[in-house]
Amino acid sequence: MAEEFNTDSMLDMYLFENTQLLEQLQETVLEQKDADCFDEDSINEIFRTMHTIKGSSGIMMFDNITAVSHKLEDVFYYLRESHPDNVSHVELVEHVLEVEDFISNEMEKIRNGDTPDGDASELISELDKFLNTLKNGAVQEGEEPPPENVHTAPTQFYIAPVATSASHFYKIFITFFPETEMANVHAYKAVYALKEIAEDILYSPEDILTDEKSGEAIVKDGFKILLQAQSSEDEVRELIGVGYDIEKVDVFECKAEEFLRGFDFGEVAGAPLAKIDLESSVDEIEARTQESNSEEKKPEKPAIAPGDFVIQSREPGKQKKLAKDKPKAEKASFISVNVSKMDQLMDLIGELVISESVVLQSSDLKVPGLNLDNFNKAAVQLAKISTDLQNVIMSMRMVPLANTFQKMNRIVFDVSRKLGKDIEFVMIGEQTEVDKNIIEHISDPLMHMVRNAVDHGIETNEERRECGKIGKGKVTLAARTEAGKVWISVEDNGTGLNREKLLAKARKQGLLDENKPDSAYTDKEVYQFITLPGFSTNEQVTEYSGRGVGMDVVVQNIQAIGGTLEIESEPGLGSIMTLKIPLTLAIIDGIVMEIGNTCFVMETGAVKQFIRVKENMMIHEPNGEEYVMIRGECFPVIRLGKWYGLAEYEESVENGVMLILEVDDRKVCLLVDRLIGNQEIVVKPIPSYIKKVKGLSGCTQLGDGSIALILDAAGLVE
Amino acid sequence: MDETSKWNGQEGADTALSEDDAQKGKYMTFKSGNEYFGLGIQYVEQIIQFQSITAIPETEDYIKGLINLRGKVIPVVDVRLRFKQEPFEYNDRTCIIVINVKTMTVGLIVEQIAEVVEIREENILPPPSIGRGDRAHQNKYVYGIGKVGDTVKLLLDPDKLLNDEDLSAMEQASEMNLEGNER
Repeated sequence: MAEEFNTDSMLDMYLFENTQLLEQLQETVLEQKDADCFDEDSINEIFRTMHTIKGSSGIMMFDNITAVSHKLEDVFYYLRESHPDNVSHVELVEHVLEVEDFISNEMEKIRNGDTPDGDASELISELDKFLNTLKNGAVQEGEEPPPENVHTAPTQFYIAPVATSASHFYKIFITFFPETEMANVHAYKAVYALKEIAEDILYSPEDILTDEKSGEAIVKDGFKILLQAQSSEDEVRELIGVGYDIEKVDVFECKAEEFLRGFDFGEVAGAPLAKIDLESSVDEIEARTQESNSEEKKPEKPAIAPGDFVIQSREPGKQKKLAKDKPKAEKASFISVNVSKMDQLMDLIGELVISESVVLQSSDLKVPGLNLDNFNKAAVQLAKISTDLQNVIMSMRMVPLANTFQKMNRIVFDVSRKLGKDIEFVMIGEQTEVDKNIIEHISDPLMHMVRNAVDHGIETNEERRECGKIGKGKVTLAARTEAGKVWISVEDNGTGLNREKLLAKARKQGLLDENKPDSAYTDKEVYQFITLPGFSTNEQVTEYSGRGVGMDVVVQNIQAIGGTLEIESEPGLGSIMTLKIPLTLAIIDGIVMEIGNTCFVMETGAVKQFIRVKENMMIHEPNGEEYVMIRGECFPVIRLGKWYGLAEYEESVENGVMLILEVDDRKVCLLVDRLIGNQEIVVKPIPSYIKKVKGLSGCTQLGDGSIALILDAAGLVE
Repeated sequence: MDETSKWNGQEGADTALSEDDAQKGKYMTFKSGNEYFGLGIQYVEQIIQFQSITAIPETEDYIKGLINLRGKVIPVVDVRLRFKQEPFEYNDRTCIIVINVKTMTVGLIVEQIAEVVEIREENILPPPSIGRGDRAHQNKYVYGIGKVGDTVKLLLDPDKLLNDEDLSAMEQASEMNLEGNER
């Protein structure tokens, strides 16, 4: 029993970690999909990711995942070590994404308790083919023989010091002032500083730390360093620094071959030597005498010579970005917490707040003549802390939209490639934070919208040229917080919506009023048609869209979480679809009211106004329905007490208060007994044991610990 | 006897074994109407005093509403109304037994808590089955009759108590009593 449990938690960890790895992988790949090739960092990262996945899948005995990740690892191993020039980057990106998809799929199966039984052989053979092309291509070019150290044998992966073609090789010569004491320590300081950037480093004399006499030798002969690093000459100089005891630092860049020769400074013929001679003839002469010594002193040198790495030169034009240039992102540390624990914490804090108010308003304190100064001070402090606590727990539930946006990036990439459209994808404000449960709800709608934008919105390359549009098609996904809501917009610079087409289609489907001319419909009304089920103007059903399902699902999903969809469009210039969704489902701003002795809460946003009405404003239909005339407008009336059959509610409209609710342009008046106040409330679901009641969307606890029911304006309007 | 073991096997599976052992054969008894009922103690989370209930409209009459159990909102069921007995006035002695059934937490309003008794399996009789159609049999929430001294307790299956179609417990109970006394 206990063992089973362990495997479960291991499996959870496996799924969790690998999901994150894959997400990261996808992000890396998509970031560089438009580049000519992956940079060193990404190649290493992808290699390591695959290595990790291979390892953990091996432990969990998911053989197909192991096999696929192993194959991709091979490919990247080859890329990393051999830098073949004939890489088809687009193909490579596709291969990586295919592998990522495959593994994600398998992991989904595992998550659902199924066996991961996907057939990886096709994928593997494709990767094999790809790898072979790479290798053969390198041979055919004849320039570079296939490097002998490529391990195609599977198991030997060591993550060696990264020897890359972007590395530079330096000969560094440090001269100390003759009077310097403990020059060996100073020399070691320089070596220590260089080790940070060094891919390989050799220095002479070697035994600087253990042999005190080496100090004298260094003063006399100078200190020599052979360095292989990605940094520029200036950076190297900066690292060594010029202390008061260092007379001179000479840094010479040299070729790999010279580097391999070690400290043969003197035998380097040609320009570098001449340069040395010019700049420091005295030092150089000393160095030349030294070099023979150093050779003799270090018979073990070949063992650690830089020749351990096979370094291939690259075309100078393809110089890659150096790792150092990249601003290292501040690494935030995360822990993953079970959501149920968070909920528990939130419940506890709610409880705390209630018991706090019970204590602070205790009737024992109301005894006259008590001196409560200190108590009150402490009470204020306590209240402050509990408010902070509440804020913190709420912020803990917030997560940035970045992951969701990355998924969209992938969709744009896939769809645009399949459709042969050249599309640029821009993300703005992906750091905007939204409650976790909201993110779950908007992922699918966003996917539909982005797909629509790519498929319907953006024209094909030819069409764009015909229209005289310059530049690529562009899809912008933007998020921002405004007025307590999150606005997420999907914008494209494509055709825009065609008003005539939409109207014609609507007329055909009998959606329009026969007597109303087309011009009577506003643009907004016309665009709304696309959100109706079964309404698609795309004549051709494509793989991605055109079946007329999609936009209606989008609208349904968004409405379910209290959001709205707005459509703007400019014919020929593109369209913008904006989702406005609440920041959180867990807390809403609500108006608390009372009917009989039951408390209800209505979301503040749905309430248009409060009004007291006179009996003579009421209109009674014979069938029992009631209306009220307010400033020339007629609203249907719901008496909440009667509607729910509550006890002891106000019969007379004059004693109660009317709330005018507006949902989607439909208005209704709600009669309640009393208003209690406006407050932020924590939404809780009604326990599942109680079946759904129309017009109720949840419940909450009020400050005094009693429970109020949350009214759902949309449900009441219906 | 068979029934009991089967029932324990199904419902008590998720509670820890040691706890199960300690709780085995113990029943929380309470009074509703003139009858005493017993509830397997492993289901009982706690007993709280009666507190104010927020009524929910448009639900069955025996679902009295929601209470706030230290931050957790739970529904409460009036056992007497559930058994189609006459409603009673809630007073100081009225208690709410909070029970956990599967993943649900529900409060049961009972007139009066009695005691925790131990009923050995051999003292539990299967419910009588005379005069009932097949469908009624499936709906029984009294799964057995426990004999304690010269009194009997009607043992409840909480899962069925909460979820099944309405069925008059009194009808069941009186019949069982008859048969039980005969024995």
